[in-house]
Amino acid sequence: MEMDQPMTPKDLHMTPHHYEDAANCPFCYGNEYMTPPEIQAFRNPKTEKNTAGWQVRVVPNKFPALQIEGNLDRRGLGIFDMSNGIGAHEIIIETPYHEKDLSDLEPGEIGNVLKMYCLRSLDLQKDKRFKYLMIFKNYGSGAGATLDHNHSQLIALPMIPKNVIEELKGSGAYFEFRERCIFCDMIRQELDEKERIITQNDQFIAFCPFASRFPFEMWVMPKEHQLSFHDISDGSIASMAGILKEVLVRMKAVLNDPPYNFIIHTSPIDGEERQGYHWHMEIMPRLSRIAGFEWGTGFYAVSTPPEIAIKYLKEAKI
Amino acid sequence: MFSDCTDERIKNRLHQSSAQNKTMPELRKDPVIGRWVIIAVERSRRPKGFKAPSHKDTEEDCPFCEGKEDQTPHEIFAIRKEGSMPDKPGWDTRVVPSKRPFLRVEGSINRHGRGLYDVMSGIGAHEVIIETPKHIGNIADLEETQIAKTVTCWIDRFVDLGRDERFKYVLVFKNYGVAAGAGHVKHSRSQLIATPVTPKRVKEELIGSKKYYEYHERCVFCDLVRQEIESKDRIVLDFDGFIAVTAFASRFPFEIWILPKEHNCDFSSMGVEKRLYLGKVLKKVLTKLKVALDDPAYNIVLHTAPFRRKKAKAGYWTTIEDDYHWHIEIIPRLGSTAGFEWGTGFYICPITPEDAAQYLREVEE
Repeated sequence: MEMDQPMTPKDLHMTPHHYEDAANCPFCYGNEYMTPPEIQAFRNPKTEKNTAGWQVRVVPNKFPALQIEGNLDRRGLGIFDMSNGIGAHEIIIETPYHEKDLSDLEPGEIGNVLKMYCLRSLDLQKDKRFKYLMIFKNYGSGAGATLDHNHSQLIALPMIPKNVIEELKGSGAYFEFRERCIFCDMIRQELDEKERIITQNDQFIAFCPFASRFPFEMWVMPKEHQLSFHDISDGSIASMAGILKEVLVRMKAVLNDPPYNFIIHTSPIDGEERQGYHWHMEIMPRLSRIAGFEWGTGFYAVSTPPEIAIKYLKEAKI
Repeated sequence: MFSDCTDERIKNRLHQSSAQNKTMPELRKDPVIGRWVIIAVERSRRPKGFKAPSHKDTEEDCPFCEGKEDQTPHEIFAIRKEGSMPDKPGWDTRVVPSKRPFLRVEGSINRHGRGLYDVMSGIGAHEVIIETPKHIGNIADLEETQIAKTVTCWIDRFVDLGRDERFKYVLVFKNYGVAAGAGHVKHSRSQLIATPVTPKRVKEELIGSKKYYEYHERCVFCDLVRQEIESKDRIVLDFDGFIAVTAFASRFPFEIWILPKEHNCDFSSMGVEKRLYLGKVLKKVLTKLKVALDDPAYNIVLHTAPFRRKKAKAGYWTTIEDDYHWHIEIIPRLGSTAGFEWGTGFYICPITPEDAAQYLREVEE
């Protein structure tokens, strides 16, 4: 999204850019000059920055929602509050292959993508202006993606966003009351009931959440209590990559390659330790449109209960 | 606050209750953030059911046109010409139950826990307000007197549903266009849903207004109206006791709020004259939107105070009549919200509300 120049109503009839052939795609091999200079990459030995020969590549967003230079400068305007839009906005190009989506990659390649999320998080958390790191993916134009070539995004924010605050408050209150993590309890109950589990391995569990907002919503969670995604070990990365691949492949088979978003929910990087929190990934296929009722109430109506979604996901031939 | 889960009894109860409630929609609460969702089993769709059906909108197939009254459930309320009969032609606006309701009106709320999770029965009402007997899609194309009749339907149904003590809130809203979640039949209509809990977003707004009032002893919306009139930057319209502004902290490009200038927490107290003014304002604003953005899809959501009954918890909404101010929010649906917005609840809006307001002011209706 271009922020320097305000959009006119015409610009808002946004159509996604479809680069039919890799020749014009800024995320393909040989077109590295079309993106801003790379921040980090996993590359073949002896290849130069901003040239071909990489496996995962991170570049600044060409049209960032927030800008990295400057101060926040919080201020008021009558009854309204404002601040400058400070932040970092990076693109993680997950594969050099134009036609592959994340679920087509080998678990090892998906592991590299997760590893890159982790490295970027560790680097950005050194910047004291940032309080929260949001890692997410928009896949398909129905989910807000504007480029076909497979990528995810990372935004570093100068404040903890509202939805995250709610989650921290809820889990914090539970922890105070019970002295247990609500997500650990959730995992225990899911393992016990088995009604909503898609798949699991020794370290991760994937399930359709009890109070799903969307049909076929899926959460991937580490079984062991861990506050922040970026504390994940290399062994756990491999384990998560396996689960993530399986879940995405199942979703693709059942729902015929739907648009989706995923978001990594993790602890803020403001220095405070929130013992009641437990990082996880939420995957939301975008099958139905959010309408007036959902906007007005924040109350979601789901037409496929998670217990039924799970049957389709488990039975998918993969 | 949190129910415990450790033993076999819970599992038994779980199976019992899911057997009992097989056809009843269920409300489930997210245990972490407290958001309720409706699991509408009755509407259950198989994976294939999500592919957009390729219906064509033809007037002949429309169940909402005059003369097709037998194609909807029995009407609940209507504004009719003298001497006409219910469920027969001769109406101006007509309210019927939704054929595919999210919530159902029969039964009791039956709050219970399932281990960590909280559940209640999906009790509620889901009604459709047919805004014109003619096959017209956009409410902007109706006469303002006709729109005022729709407002009367909203008010009448709101007041009537308020008598049912099981309901805490009624949300009146409209989905226009497929991108806004509307069906494929292009016949102008709005909907209302009565819910057994005050929805989270509504509560947040109420709490925000209450806090502002506690600090300033003024209504935040009255202050907003004053500031907007003074600065003029975001005003789209200002007449007949209403202002239409692009929201200062717009979540979406061209997000528009319509507010009555006079303080009132409850839209249902609006008199006949005001309903006509509101009809006029809605028509003007929606026509501007239609012209400026080439007939975009949009949602309209009415924000008003929940039902205030004596039984309510002490101190809960005691100052609501002074601190809250009803209004209407209009959200054009131009892009799709992506992962960032979902994750953060933080919106990236690619146009300033000041520019949006200027476009809208200059548009020829």
